[in-house]
Amino acid sequence: MTILQTLISGLLLGGIYSLISMGLNLILGVVRIVNFAHGEFLMIAMYLSFVFYSTMGLDPYVSGILVIACLFILGLITQRFLIQPILDTPDTTKIFVTLGLSIALQNLALMTMGANHMSVRTSYQSSVISIGELAISIPRLISFIVAISVAALLYLFLQKTMVGKAVRAVSMQRQAAHLMGINVKKIYLLAFGIGIGLVGLAGSMLTPIYSVYPTLGTSFVLIAFVVVVLGGMGSMFGAFFGGLIIGLVEALSGVLLETGLKEAVYFAIFILVLLFRPSGIFGLGKGAEEVG
Amino acid sequence: MKKYLSLLLVAFLLLLSACGSNESSGESSDSLKIGALFPLTGDLALLGEESFRGVELAVEEFNKNGGVNGKEIELVKGDAPDADAGQAEANRLVNQENIKAIVGSYSSSISFAASEVTERNGALYWELGAVSDSVTDRQYKYVLRTNPPASYFSKVNIDFIKEVVTEKLGKDLGDIKVAIAHEDSTYGTTIAEEAKKLADSEGIEIVTTEGYSSSTNDLSSVILNLKNANPDVVIAVSYLNDAILLARQSEELGFKVPVFIGNGGGHTMKDFQDAVGNLADGLFNIDFPQYSINRESTPGMDEFLEMYKEKYGSDPRSGHSLTNYMGMKVVLDVLSEVGEVNPDKLKEEALKYKAEEGTTATGWGVEFDPKDGQNQKGSPYLHQWIDDELLTVWPENVSVEEPQFNK
Repeated sequence: MTILQTLISGLLLGGIYSLISMGLNLILGVVRIVNFAHGEFLMIAMYLSFVFYSTMGLDPYVSGILVIACLFILGLITQRFLIQPILDTPDTTKIFVTLGLSIALQNLALMTMGANHMSVRTSYQSSVISIGELAISIPRLISFIVAISVAALLYLFLQKTMVGKAVRAVSMQRQAAHLMGINVKKIYLLAFGIGIGLVGLAGSMLTPIYSVYPTLGTSFVLIAFVVVVLGGMGSMFGAFFGGLIIGLVEALSGVLLETGLKEAVYFAIFILVLLFRPSGIFGLGKGAEEVG
Repeated sequence: MKKYLSLLLVAFLLLLSACGSNESSGESSDSLKIGALFPLTGDLALLGEESFRGVELAVEEFNKNGGVNGKEIELVKGDAPDADAGQAEANRLVNQENIKAIVGSYSSSISFAASEVTERNGALYWELGAVSDSVTDRQYKYVLRTNPPASYFSKVNIDFIKEVVTEKLGKDLGDIKVAIAHEDSTYGTTIAEEAKKLADSEGIEIVTTEGYSSSTNDLSSVILNLKNANPDVVIAVSYLNDAILLARQSEELGFKVPVFIGNGGGHTMKDFQDAVGNLADGLFNIDFPQYSINRESTPGMDEFLEMYKEKYGSDPRSGHSLTNYMGMKVVLDVLSEVGEVNPDKLKEEALKYKAEEGTTATGWGVEFDPKDGQNQKGSPYLHQWIDDELLTVWPENVSVEEPQFNK
């Protein structure tokens, strides 16, 4: 019974990780930027969600659409004024820029919102579906379903639409895509915008579950990187299943081994994947050559 | 290009070290400098800042009343988000700012690291809030601590189980099953280990001990392990993030325990209550004195609350400010006697300093152990969340309400 409950809890947690990782993976696959500030965008999304709730009384699920829009625009601005100028610089520069952005955003949040943990209290926050002795938390289930839908929609968008094809083309061959008349800068803007918009969605889903504070992002972003590496860079389904696997691993190792060892276990997996299959489980073999 | 860059760096480093060894004359004639080392940014910022406010208020009040022989006390702030920064900042305060006494520091890891630096340099480290026993266990010459350490928390847990819980649950001491869930930094580990030792010596059964990282995103595995152990009492040591998760996920996973005892940290905070609402009702929590307490045992608390509200525009967010305020007042009393910031004289004077229980704003007395510099006359109290308020319920001389067991 406990193992079954652990599996459920792990899967639901994995859904949360998937949701956060998909946007990160899209940005990584297309723009080739390791966005260390990803967690901070999640934090901003949750603060927005909280502000909509406390000022206008909007339920996090209702204000989700507004949060996604805000974050999409924030993504565009970040790409245009921060990432675009450094695209042709060495990797170290890119790392410093996103890392610097992360620290700046954390401290900005500390200054504007203070260090308090802010929470939204909804009527359904602790409600569960009980099946015999098993309990499934409703807010977590909702975010899980959203994660599945997002993965499917992203896949369809990248595979079936013209714009999606252009995005994939840019990620495979930037120069060639440019010669074929694709506006590469625009595609980058779009990819970054969608990537950050997805974090906005993740933030809205997490607001009923977690309280928000300035350094919240750090606890999620590391896991998101593990998920991306595990699933394969650029692969949307990879990020989705990678998230589920890490969630399951975390919950199971907590019950079967030691609760204090959870983090150690998934970072050990992270190192093993990097050693033996650097392109990830679902990656197509040659690093981040593919998006979809 | 690279060559120039490295030359530039070397020059820069030389410049830095030159600045470092350039001793500024520490004290101007009109002020005495004391370092204040707290985590003011980063994960621990909330309670770090709350702690610092207590120190700030005590110093302001003291300066208003004339300071030491007309000299004002000047606080030199150091920001230490973590232990490494604590060491670096202590170094800066002692070697660059020429500070001879530092107060701090809310977090045990920071305190432990920073007091290594002060000890080596012959400066005084006066701890006002960090609870890990390791800070004083080293028996350093220049370390003092006013607040009770973690082992005193553990003792209150076990005493309460022994003297109150057994009777209320109608069980013998040997039949009570206790589970421990703790975050795995120094703070959580110390309280958990001490509680285990005490439980063993009392013949109380510890059915499981779950350590976890306080920055975790998920405690379902911890809770499922607790659920399997089916305890009568859970002793929890948590910061805020995990305290919230523990309460919410216990509810989600249907884990209920007759007696839940938190140990300060997250379980004390209004943010915790705001986040979990009525899930907090009935939870016990052992911590430094809070504000719903028998005022006859805590003279000076009302004045503190007034000052706090006037300066910061709200009620205190936890008892940390009060504890640091009380501790800082002891520091300033001792400093008044000495008249200068001299580590040896301050230590000597501190060992002579005595105050009876029930004479300070926290209700603690003061008597430092000459061996390790620990004040032996302070103890944390037991509180309970009743109708969204954290009330002191045990021991009787400070309580405002009986402990309730109607969950």
